Amino acid sequence: MNVAAVESWIEAPLRRYVDDARARIAVLLHPSGQVMAQAGFTRDVDVMAACALAAAAHATSGELGRRLDGHPFRGVHYAGATHQLFLSALETRRGTYLCLTVFDETSSLGLVRLYCEELRRALISAAPNAITARPTPTLAADFEVELNRNLAALFSGPKGAAVIS
Amino acid sequence: MISGLRGIIDRLSRQRGVRASLIVSEHDGLVVDSSLRFGEGENGERVAALAASIYRKARLSADAAHLGAVSFLQLDADRGRLCAVGRDDLVLVVVAEPSANVGLIRVELFKALETIA
Repeated sequence: MNVAAVESWIEAPLRRYVDDARARIAVLLHPSGQVMAQAGFTRDVDVMAACALAAAAHATSGELGRRLDGHPFRGVHYAGATHQLFLSALETRRGTYLCLTVFDETSSLGLVRLYCEELRRALISAAPNAITARPTPTLAADFEVELNRNLAALFSGPKGAAVIS
Repeated sequence: MISGLRGIIDRLSRQRGVRASLIVSEHDGLVVDSSLRFGEGENGERVAALAASIYRKARLSADAAHLGAVSFLQLDADRGRLCAVGRDDLVLVVVAEPSANVGLIRVELFKALETIA
């Protein structure tokens, strides 16, 4: 599966996560919706939509959790007919990342949750200057510029059509 | 049904040498009920997810090889063994010490399967 990352240190942990969890699609993004890495998508527009929707879902579930439980919910699971989705917030010293994972019957929610936690640990280990280097502030004035730059970095080759590779 | 599952867990856990017993959803790899003696809950979730995956692969392998249904799965390791049986979507998993009597565990697992049938 093709794995692409805006920052190179993310690529290996994400690749391992996709292999271990047998994910069909995985996207790592900031809560603002800025994509950091992706695996499985072949079109930038699909990544952009996925990131926007994942960020919205995370914001919604987080607020629901705060109102119902006093704390934001950390994971959201949707089960479809053939594919399932797990959206998890990964707390690292560089800040919070969201991991959107799509999987099918070859994996399971338990495995995805298990390896999501391992991905979090791997990101912490792999992050350069883990404490000093902070991600770009959310909803910065240059959000769109950053978004387009990240998408361009992920999709430098010809654009395909399939959503799930 | 829930109390029935708790009874199954209790009976399995009473066997000599049993360190953990779990009822796991094969489809989700999530713990339905468990009794753990080897550590924190996170370990139980790891065992559940991976054991369910192993059991499912064994079931699919047996099916692909036209061997029929998997009756009993045993995984031997340096410091113990993992035993599993399954029916429908539930997998009963026992983690036992090397000295545990696998024959007795097997009997209890099959009895438990009859209970949840």
